[in-house]
Amino acid sequence: MNDFTLIRKNLFRRKLRAFLMIASILIAFLIFGVLAGVYASFTAGEDRAAADRLVVVNKVNFTQPLPIAYYNRVRSVAGIRQVTYANWFGGYYQDPRNFLVVMAVEPETYTDIYARDIDLTPEARQVFMRTRTGALVGEAMARKWGWKVGDRVPIASNIFSQRNGSHTWEFDIVGIFTAKTQQVDTNFMLFQYDYFDETRSFGKDTIGWLVLQTANPTDNDRIAKAIDGMFVNSTAETATDTEKAFNKAFAAQFGNIALIVVLVVGAAFVTILMIVGNTMALTVRERTREIGVLKMLGFTGGRILRLVLGESILLALLGGLPGLALAALAMSALRPSVSNMMPGFALMGDTVAEGIILMLALGLITGMIPALNAMRLKIATALGRG
Amino acid sequence: MRSLLLQIVAVTTINLKSIPRRILLSLSTIVAVALVVMVLLAFLAMANGFQRTIAGSGSQDIGIVLRAGSQAEINSTVTREQVRLVEDGPGIARGGDGKALVSPELYLVVDGIKHTTKTKANLPLRGIGEQGFTLRKGIVITAGRMFNRGTNEIVVGKGLTREFDGFDLGSTVAFGTTRWTVVGIFDADGSVFESEIWADLPVVQSLFNRNNIFQTVRVRLAGPATIDELKGYNDNDPRMKLDVKSEAAYFADQSSQTTDLIQKLGWPLAIAMAFGALAGALNTMYSSVAARATEIATLRAIGFGGFSAFVGTLIESLLLAAVGGAIGAALTYAFFDGLSAATLGGNFTQVVFSFKLSPALVGEGVLLALIVGLVGGLFPALRAARMPIVAGLYG
Repeated sequence: MNDFTLIRKNLFRRKLRAFLMIASILIAFLIFGVLAGVYASFTAGEDRAAADRLVVVNKVNFTQPLPIAYYNRVRSVAGIRQVTYANWFGGYYQDPRNFLVVMAVEPETYTDIYARDIDLTPEARQVFMRTRTGALVGEAMARKWGWKVGDRVPIASNIFSQRNGSHTWEFDIVGIFTAKTQQVDTNFMLFQYDYFDETRSFGKDTIGWLVLQTANPTDNDRIAKAIDGMFVNSTAETATDTEKAFNKAFAAQFGNIALIVVLVVGAAFVTILMIVGNTMALTVRERTREIGVLKMLGFTGGRILRLVLGESILLALLGGLPGLALAALAMSALRPSVSNMMPGFALMGDTVAEGIILMLALGLITGMIPALNAMRLKIATALGRG
Repeated sequence: MRSLLLQIVAVTTINLKSIPRRILLSLSTIVAVALVVMVLLAFLAMANGFQRTIAGSGSQDIGIVLRAGSQAEINSTVTREQVRLVEDGPGIARGGDGKALVSPELYLVVDGIKHTTKTKANLPLRGIGEQGFTLRKGIVITAGRMFNRGTNEIVVGKGLTREFDGFDLGSTVAFGTTRWTVVGIFDADGSVFESEIWADLPVVQSLFNRNNIFQTVRVRLAGPATIDELKGYNDNDPRMKLDVKSEAAYFADQSSQTTDLIQKLGWPLAIAMAFGALAGALNTMYSSVAARATEIATLRAIGFGGFSAFVGTLIESLLLAAVGGAIGAALTYAFFDGLSAATLGGNFTQVVFSFKLSPALVGEGVLLALIVGLVGGLFPALRAARMPIVAGLYG
């Protein structure tokens, strides 16, 4: 019988107790996995932001418009590789509750700047650039509504209206794009800014924001200052920031998600630490006599320490790994219903790695004191006891 | 019957007196239950606080007029002509001079710096008409004074000054190229208006190039029922194409989504944690029964019934859970009740609110604790009742 068999047999000596501890650890790691996913989805914007992308918005607030003339003026700044612009559409499909992320964009430059994020066939890109009423739809959105290339979809806006008074625009889906990395969410739709600007009843010749790609990220600061300097004291001053800073500030608007996640996960872990730690201590106390016998048979203190720690670590892994697996399952089940609020809600590799470290830590912490006690136990005391 | 009761009392007393022997394990159950209740109550207090702030903002006798289909003030646009049509509408209260009590308003989003994160956040700047103040209940200037019409002066809500930097009385604030002076701080009964910045409508329109553009019209109704007259008038005039709602109905719609989301997060989390605590409670109670095996068998041998062993164990478990629940509720009250927070509301701007615990919510928390105690005690109690006497005595 090797040590692992001994650890396993010890752990499952009291089946019900082992099962209950595994269940409570499983739940703690389920909560950890799901909340890490929530946190990741709120910070995904920050993670996927490219170092060489800057966002130019109205200094008053990003919901305030900028004149479209800024596009050409910004393009003239040295050190910029590409510039594009976009306008928020406030879209929904059929019912205002079916909120959609829809943006009116300049087709050629927008798909160029975001080529590293979204996968789009060159043919679809060409068709999108040529088709006035064309729209590109992300894979996630297309799947949710059952749309495919060639469909004509009526999309309404809760902000804009057409000159004929209608709030609904008809778009022809000319391409469906997919994400190039896990952080990129594809629950959005793009259509031609020119079509939008010609048909809308107000706000003509204004845009929501500009995105630019610098040739060298070390020039970001200089370029941002140059752009904001160009428009100082104009009616629409600008604020230029890196995409990362912009996305971070936006996520922070929802509240301190990180703090909430840390508090809840902390509460869950304190709970299992108490339960498992005490139970391990109890278990080892119950086995005092046996440990004495093992020592008498020649087991060294170190080996006893390893046996007890091995048991608590095995327990943590037996609860934690299925807990993470369950979290992955729960998240894939929830993903469609939370895709608007929390894009990119999934179990990340980083979370799994952190989870395993936590499991080992949990095993060590809960097992350490009982293991040390067992290691130091004197044979005479152990055999003398009850 | 009396003897059964006495037996239960005796067994329960013995159980409770022996808790110190299992103090760590019993404490771990109490802590586990307390943490579950804390997590649940913190989320519920957050949802409740947010909901009270938003829903408490609306009044039944104020009507709000928006562009049809716009859902929120920020998306709406109303023209000068439409404002005039609304002013002429039926069902609106009129002042002594016969003028309709209405406030056409412009709602803009400006940047502020959030106190906690030092990041930019969306704040609402509202240009209000002459009647704007009187069309909202409970508005009191608590420091400074009201802005003077036609000047770059603003008054800011109390909540906003709490969560965002740079809005102290007397300070100058820049929105783009425009400069404004904070001349007053107002209290609005804890409503969403306390998260807003107010200025004179024509000044906001001209400084932000929105001449003759409005976003909403607020009207004082002659009575809550007259909203239907105004709705009928609006529906029959093709020039209007507006949505007429009571302010109360408007804010009720606004609060539901965020409140739902917070509750949808809070309950599943608390229930999952309750299962974890349940495992702990079961463990504790099984250990308790095992530790008292000889005791229970002895009592049974001298004539005590199985039922008293059952009830005694169950009461021990319920008591531990109730203590945990009470501690959880007390800690939530101490740490979270009244805590100020801000999040993005339905108008795409920050809403400042306070966590608010209520007796009903505490009841929900304690109920969850007792369920954990009941289930956690039930199976160990059954084991205690069914334990064979002989085995127990030799155990």
